[in-house]
Amino acid sequence: MVAIIDYNMGNVASVQKALNFLNIPSVVTNNHKAISDSDFILLPGVGSFRQGMENLKRKELDKLLTDLVMGEKKSFLGICLGMQLIAKKGTEPEDCVGLDWVEGTIVKIEEQNLRVPHMGWNNIDIKKQRYFDNLQGKDFYFIHSYHFIPDNKDVIAATVEYGRELVAAVQKENIFATQFHPEKSQVAGLSLLKNYFDYVKA
Amino acid sequence: MLKLRIIPILTFNGFGLVKTKKFANPRMVGNPVQAARVYNSRGVDELVFLDITATEQNRKINLKLVSDVIKECYMPVAIGGNITSIEDINALLKIGADKVVIKTKALTDTDFIKQAVSFFGSQCITIAVDAYKSGNEYKIFNKIGLEIGLDEFIEKMELCKVGEFVLASVDNDGMMDGFDDELVRHVVSKVNVPVIAVGGGGNLIHYNELFAKTEIEAVGSASIFYFTQYTPLDIKEELRKINKPVRL
Repeated sequence: MVAIIDYNMGNVASVQKALNFLNIPSVVTNNHKAISDSDFILLPGVGSFRQGMENLKRKELDKLLTDLVMGEKKSFLGICLGMQLIAKKGTEPEDCVGLDWVEGTIVKIEEQNLRVPHMGWNNIDIKKQRYFDNLQGKDFYFIHSYHFIPDNKDVIAATVEYGRELVAAVQKENIFATQFHPEKSQVAGLSLLKNYFDYVKA
Repeated sequence: MLKLRIIPILTFNGFGLVKTKKFANPRMVGNPVQAARVYNSRGVDELVFLDITATEQNRKINLKLVSDVIKECYMPVAIGGNITSIEDINALLKIGADKVVIKTKALTDTDFIKQAVSFFGSQCITIAVDAYKSGNEYKIFNKIGLEIGLDEFIEKMELCKVGEFVLASVDNDGMMDGFDDELVRHVVSKVNVPVIAVGGGGNLIHYNELFAKTEIEAVGSASIFYFTQYTPLDIKEELRKINKPVRL
């Protein structure tokens, strides 16, 4: 069972629809027991970093998720804001503390002559193959104004070119997270989700 | 490399899909859920669904129908039609919308747009800019009797930190005889957020010309898909021939 964390940061319906399509059982929840009882944790989300952390804290989900992911080493998949929140520090709209599972900072995309948000389909460059076997296409849907700068480059699982090389996915032990939206990336995204869950279920 | 986006636009009037000419004379063209299913099977880059009569008929968008449309889509979907409150946006995001498209409320209530951006983030808030030429300048088409220039409106919206503009040429809407390159170039050079150009595509050459002559990165269309044999993929294959980045 996948616990899709419901913390009022949008987009849970699309994630569950994609998992339903792949016949992967899931529940959208913020119930502590349901989350603890699940096999996998999926943190989706769009919106601002600070709002995301506030919403997690309001339901004391920050502590629970940290216990389960960092303590019990439960498999964790983060998407978009759900990837950014695992960083040590965010800057949107001002400096704030994240879940702090991966050392790094979330900063605004600021390049000359670049439109922000980075919005649309872009191809990724895979750095760690683990979850990226059997992909049906390398273009994924991105929609973000901030990006992840990890302290240790070893956690970078994929990058994307937008003005310069940005982090498209991170992976560290039981944590995997994507800046792009696999649930919105048609067959490429569905194939990635399938690969990921095939791998972690094995 | 970021790909150019080719986006079907579904315009809805409360009963079915309609296609207008110069924002008038709506003609029935089909069923939204079926259309969404076809576009999803064709792997389109994104979909925009607009209820174009919700505001003037003073009704809310039909969430059940929108939900049925979104259920067909494994790509991003933007939804618009009489969005006037944070609750309206929340309701659409909850059923799987990725972006909302706001028009009339943006013309009258800048504070609401700022609030929406701070709640949901820039990337979620798209503004519809319907421009028509009046003498030597462009103005914003609306049905609430407001006189407002194109530049004034988009400057206001940029200050609100909106994430994207859907820029429609009212004069070229449904005419299928080419895009308003001058309008597109003007807006694209003025703003720093993504812009979707809409209005005028009737054959493949129109798209190649638009992307060759302007810096636009996304285009929205309807008539060409209803009234010709061309699909979004045909447009992309033609763009690839002139070395434009597309997702095939």
